[in-house]
Parts: sequence; C-alpha cells; structure tokens
Amino acid sequence: MTMQHPESETVMIEMIKVSKSYPPDVSALSDISVTIDRGEMFFLIGMSGAGKTTLLKLLCSMETPSNGLIEVAGNPIHKLKGTTLARMRQRIGVAYQDFKLLTDRTAAENIAISMEVSYKKPQIIRKRVVDLLEQLDLSDKHNTITGELSRGEQQRVTLARAVANSPALILVDEPTGNLDATTTERVMKLLNKCNSAGATIVIATHDDSIYKDTTHRVMELRKGRIHTVSGGIRT
Amino acid sequence: MNFWLTVFRQVGRNLRQTWPSQLMTLLTVSLSVLIFAFFYLVYTNMLNIGDKLGDDLRLIVYLEEQPGPEMQEQLRRKITNFDEVEEIHFISKEEAYDRFIKQLAQNKDVLDEMPRDFLPASIEVVPLKTLRGLSQIKLFSDYLAKLPGTIKVQYGQEWVERFYSFTRLLSIVVLLSGNLLILTTVFMVAYTIRLTIMGRQAELELLKLVGATNNYIRTPFLLEGLLQGMLGSTLGLLSLYLLFDWIKMQFSGPGLLSLFDFTFFPYTASLTIIGVSILLCTVGSYTSMQKFLRI
Ligand SMILES: Nc1ncnc2c1ncn2[C@@H]1O[C@H](COP(=O)(O)OP(=O)(O)O)[C@@H](O)[C@H]1O
Ligand SMILES: [Mg+2]
Repeated sequence: MTMQHPESETVMIEMIKVSKSYPPDVSALSDISVTIDRGEMFFLIGMSGAGKTTLLKLLCSMETPSNGLIEVAGNPIHKLKGTTLARMRQRIGVAYQDFKLLTDRTAAENIAISMEVSYKKPQIIRKRVVDLLEQLDLSDKHNTITGELSRGEQQRVTLARAVANSPALILVDEPTGNLDATTTERVMKLLNKCNSAGATIVIATHDDSIYKDTTHRVMELRKGRIHTVSGGIRT
Repeated sequence: MNFWLTVFRQVGRNLRQTWPSQLMTLLTVSLSVLIFAFFYLVYTNMLNIGDKLGDDLRLIVYLEEQPGPEMQEQLRRKITNFDEVEEIHFISKEEAYDRFIKQLAQNKDVLDEMPRDFLPASIEVVPLKTLRGLSQIKLFSDYLAKLPGTIKVQYGQEWVERFYSFTRLLSIVVLLSGNLLILTTVFMVAYTIRLTIMGRQAELELLKLVGATNNYIRTPFLLEGLLQGMLGSTLGLLSLYLLFDWIKMQFSGPGLLSLFDFTFFPYTASLTIIGVSILLCTVGSYTSMQKFLRI
C-alpha cells in the first residue's frame, strides 16, 4: 500500500457521500460518509437488507459505488485495476456472507488459497493453516472437503481464509450467524487477536451478543442510510 | 520458486479435472502436425528429386543461321530478359558437328558424305534450378521459340513438365495444410482452455477476489497450452517418422523409388515445427484467458 497522503497513515477507510443502487432502481446505500482509522475495530449493524453486505462489497471492490468517494489506505479502490487491485486485495481479507468456499477442496486448501496468491512459502502456509484451524476448533477437519462441513464449520473456514494472510484490513460479514455461544467466543477471540496485531476490522452483523458490550464504534444502517454511530473514542 | 510450485500444482489439477478434453486436443494437435508435416515432407523430397532432374535439364534453341558476336549479345539479352538463367552457351555449326562425331564414335563414317556445316547452330540455355525457374520451362520455351531466327526449341521429356506442375500443386497443399494446422491448433486449444475455465469459474472468480494477479491465474493455462503444443507436435512428428521409416522399408528393394534417396526433415525443420506449434498453442490459450480476465 502506497502512502500517498499523510492521513493515510492513520486512516484506513474513507467514505464520502457514497451511494450504491443496483439495477433497475434498488437503492442499497445512500449518502454514506464515514472514516475508519487504522487498527480500529468497527461494527456495522442493521436489519437484514439494510445494506451492510453492500458496504463491505464496496470496500473490497466487488461492487463499484454509483456515487461518492471510497479510499482504502489512501487508494481509490474502485478505480484500481489489474495488478494494483490484486496487490490491494491481497492486503484485504474478506469473510463473505455466502462463504465462497471451494466445496470440492479440503478446509486446509481453502484456507491456503489466500496465502498462495501472494506466494508465501509452503511450510509457512502449512503451519499457519494448522494454527488457524486449532484456534477455531477445527483441527480434525484439516482434510475434510468443505462441502461436507456444517454451515457453522464452513463459516469458520471462511473466516480463517480471510485472516490467514495477515491482511491489514479484515472485512467480516455475519461471522457468527450459524454458531453457538462458545464458538462465537472463539471467533471473536481470533478477530480481537488480529486487531491487537494491528489489523483494521469491519464486522457486519445483526448478532447483538458480539457488540453489546463493546467499546468500539458501532454504526447502524437503516434502509441504506446511516442511522446512528455510537461508542468509541475517536482521536 | 514458490511461484512455479503453485503453477505446477494448478496445471496438475487442470489436467486431472479435464483430461478427456485435454487428450482430445493433444490428438487433434498431433494429427494436424502429422498432416502438415506429411505433405511438407513429400514436398521437400520432391524438391530434392527436382534438383537432380534439373541438373540435366537444358533448353536447346536451334537457330537458322550462325549468329555473329553482336547478334549473340542481342540474343543473350533477349533471353535474360525473360528470366535469369544459370548459363547460356552458343554452339556453332562446327562445335555441333564435333559433338555429333564424338557421340557417333565408331560410326562416324556415316557423316563422310555430309558437309561440316550441315547441323544448325544452337543456343544451350540452362535454366535456374529453382522451382520457379523450372516450373516455367514451358513458358520459357514458348518465349524462346518466338525469338527471331529460331527454328525450334527442344527440352527434356514431357514428364519433367508434369513433375513440376505436380510439385506446384503440392506446394499449394502444403500451404493449405499449414493453414489447417494453424486453425485447428489455435481453436482446439482455445476451446479446451475455455472448457477448463468454465469448469473452474467459481475458483477463478475467488482467486481474483483474494488478490491473485492476472499472471498467477494465467500462467498455468499458458503452460498447459505450451505442453499441448510441445507434446502434440512431437507426437505428430514421431508418428510421421515411423510412417516414413516404414514406407522406406517397403520400397527399399529395387524399383523406381529406390533411384532417389528419401530423407526426413533435418533437425532444424523438426524443431521449427515444434516451436511453431508451441507458439500457436500458447497463443490459443492466451486468447481464451484474456477473454476471461477482461470480464
Ligand atoms: N446484486 C444485487 N442486485 C439487486 N439488489 C441487491 C443486490 N444485492 C443486494 N441488493 C439489495 O440491496 C439491499 C441491501 O442488501 P444487503 O447489502 O445484502 O443488505 P444486508 O447485508 O444488510 O442484509 C437489499 O434491499 C437487497 O435486496
Ligand atoms: Mg448481508
């Protein structure tokens, strides 16, 4: 990530008057302006259909905004192409709401993908995969085809893939939807660990158990608009 | 190092997933190479034979009267006007007589009654030993016959002419089969790669999302095309060689064909064919890949 502006040293995500509408005329997001600092953990909440997933998709350039400015680490992400975009995406880990796992590959292979694309050494990849599976209580699923895993297990594999490459920005979409309380705790522990290591984390969720006691900022979306932003002490 | 490791893993995976269509492509590539190389081989051998025939091929232009030095120059100019030639000899009446005597040897007394200048003077024209020069021999002789002062033009047998028109036909066949080779290899390879891409759409989409560069996605497919080209053309050439060897064995006894010695391609030609096939296959897979990457 190149540092084009001085503020990019402290700011990870800059969104100014961003809106997104899907054809024909579904307005998924409108007039979103928010700044998320490097190293911040940020909760994005709202009812289903509020636009959480859309916002995350804009941040990793899976979708392009209809209007407004989006910068990630100082780069206008929706304008990047080719190798520049690829390099950028290597530094952004995303746990998709619909997982996007390769269901004919093992859990280990799925997790390894995000590291393989940045040419990590095989030994390092192997070690990291074992380590992550352990942290997410999936050690016995190392060689299981992900198509045969339960939803909750698939969800954790997705998360492991998102954080495996130690990205600077981690986007997590409904990470705990299919999990029981204990596993949810493990997942949050892993995310907190990544956050302590310096990663900026944006979590989209409607599971209030993971944000009700948080000291981090929580932004609520309603019908694609910012309803409230609460908590956190911004410097 | 890690890069190539990943690339080879991907190639292995592709081959395992789509080996039936990969095999089809391989066979198509080798068959096209076989067809092309076969005609090309026949063609080069025909050229060799033509070369040998051409060694004795000359046009003899009989003249009404013996040309003086000035006239000789004029004729020489007229002849080279039509085409460049290997050599031009002027044969005077006396030289013709001497040659004839030599040919008759012991029977030379039959000429005793004849005057020394009873044979006409002539010009011997040795055409260039290129295919073009030789194949135009009929036109050339017609042209020479129309020069002022010529009685008639003589040249090698009818079949020489037929031989050269056959070689010309063959060169067209070589050209056509060359085009066939180009089309089939590029399209077949592009097609298989597209099949592979479609079969792995989900994975390739994901690779893009997790930040795989175009090179990361593309290289395994290019390598696959390269392998197709290399194996396919080698296989095609190898089977042609076996075929060639077999045919040579069949005709190795006494017979017309044993007059000429048939040769296989030199190394360089084989390598060129393989190299071009590799190039074509890689281009085929590259175009497929570009279509996908642009989406
Ligand atoms: N690809 C799409 N095409 C059309 N409409 C979409 C698409 N994706 C999302 N939407 C619509 O945009 C709105 C926001 O969706 P989404 O961002 O998925 O909400 P959330 O993740 O908060 O549940 C919804 O009304 C949804 O129907
Ligand atoms: Mg959603």
